[in-house]
Amino acid sequence: MRSVTRTRRVLKWTGNVLLVVFLVWTLVPFYWMLVTSLKKDKEIYGFEATLVPRQPNLDAYRRLFAQTPFVKYLVNSTIIAVSTTAASLVLGCLGAYALARLRFPGRRLIARGLIFSYLVPPALLFIPLFTVMSTLNLIDTRHGLTLVYLSFTLPFCTWLLLGYFRSVPLELEEAALVDGCSRMSALVRIILPISLPALAVVAFFSFTQAWNEFLYANVFVNSVDVRTITTGLTLFVVEDVFFWGPMMGAACLATIPPVLIYLIFQRWVVKGLTLGAVKG
Amino acid sequence: MLPAGPRRSRALRDEARLAYAILAPSLLVVLFLVAYPFVSAIYLSLQDKMVGSPGRFVGLENYGELFRDEVFLRTAWNSVVYTVVAVGIKFVVGLTMALVLDQERRWNNLFRTLLFVPWAVPVVIVSLNWRWIYDDLSGFLNNFLITFHITRDIVSWLSNPHLAMGCVIAVVVWAGTPFYAMSFLAGLQAIPKELYEAAEVDGASVLQQFSFITVPRLKTIFVTTVMLSTIWTATNLQFVLILTKGGPASRTEIFPHLAYQIALGARRLGMGAAISLVFFPVLAILIVLLTRRLLRQGEE
Repeated sequence: MRSVTRTRRVLKWTGNVLLVVFLVWTLVPFYWMLVTSLKKDKEIYGFEATLVPRQPNLDAYRRLFAQTPFVKYLVNSTIIAVSTTAASLVLGCLGAYALARLRFPGRRLIARGLIFSYLVPPALLFIPLFTVMSTLNLIDTRHGLTLVYLSFTLPFCTWLLLGYFRSVPLELEEAALVDGCSRMSALVRIILPISLPALAVVAFFSFTQAWNEFLYANVFVNSVDVRTITTGLTLFVVEDVFFWGPMMGAACLATIPPVLIYLIFQRWVVKGLTLGAVKG
Repeated sequence: MLPAGPRRSRALRDEARLAYAILAPSLLVVLFLVAYPFVSAIYLSLQDKMVGSPGRFVGLENYGELFRDEVFLRTAWNSVVYTVVAVGIKFVVGLTMALVLDQERRWNNLFRTLLFVPWAVPVVIVSLNWRWIYDDLSGFLNNFLITFHITRDIVSWLSNPHLAMGCVIAVVVWAGTPFYAMSFLAGLQAIPKELYEAAEVDGASVLQQFSFITVPRLKTIFVTTVMLSTIWTATNLQFVLILTKGGPASRTEIFPHLAYQIALGARRLGMGAAISLVFFPVLAILIVLLTRRLLRQGEE
């Protein structure tokens, strides 16, 4: 019995040591990002570079707001991420309801097709999509970008909600239908209120995916007026010279929305994640 | 419940009509922005199309050229190494992280939240930040190592041909481990604690408990997580694009990034499509198997 308590203690302490290592490994990059944004250029470059800022100041942020289109990028990202989220919620709920509750030919095929299209990687699609987007005059437009984002948020959201709707007992809805409720109002009044956790995951997923997306935003947008924050950030590099101060400031600010949303939704997200919710 | 006869078939027809109507927007998006581009990628790869000019049908010429090209062959090898090593490390570190977080401890919720944050950060930002950490003269890594006298000279992390791939993979691991840890932790927490207690009474060692209780119970999650992550790791070009652009001397070139460079840098759309398609058969097997798994999970 003594050896058991000893093994326990060894395990406990190994765990604690590993935890410290993981915390350092995870947090140091964030520290460096924040600290860089608080330094003056002289402290950032060359051999004078410091690990701790001597005089923390908001200079980089002032430059960011005054001299770069950063605010424009933020506005674009917000508009696109919010529209993607709203459209994914509405269309995802409708599609999932049809697949979960209505009988029609092709139901299984459509469900299969949705998952399949969620798994087809953007790296394969962006080249032909470029031609499609040009033909449809969607290059350099916010709605065009929102539309391509829907091509990966919708399949996933529909599928996630489908699983959830299926678990809602049929009897609840049947009672409403017998009382003369229409299909759509049964969805809104009965199924949706029970499905709030799934809706939270869907909202989280669509918002962060749209906010964090880079490849499509980079390929389908050239104009500053439509550019999102992820692609805008890379423009802080001019001719191989990096403006690290403002760039890290921008990186800090652009990290806040998805992280904040993650903190709010994390309770539900972990559940959704086991279903393959977020790319990693 | 439903009335019989002609009224019933009418009800069914209405139901189908409603279903198609409310599914239509999603289907249109998927057809135009996934299915059509997917098919046209295949067609495009058989042409010598450039940006802004119509292509000529060249059959398998693009593929032939690829397999004679040294850069492509190196890229193919790199892609395999990159994906296998990154997925392997993420798996091991992620499982360790999950096991550590599953132990009883004060503040565990806080630690969990902190360790999972990288997962919510945009990959572009992660990559830019790490590029800055690796910076030769002013980056955190060199500064730290020199300040604490661990190394005497500056190390060129990303431009050293022997270190570059490892450095890129480290960033992929930093960003991707939380996904594994989260999935595994959810699985660990679903295992009833009584199983371990019973095993302990029977005299099973910690290692035996791990291999006879933990591993079998997590098997499904292991497989799903690794399959999903393999697809995403293999096809994510952002890390390489921002950290090294495939350099030095193609040492970190992987196929999605090469396709991107050829299609948009060299403006050869046909060849770019061919590069991304060469690897598709491997991914397709994963995608088909995963679709089946996920459908089954969804129906349970």
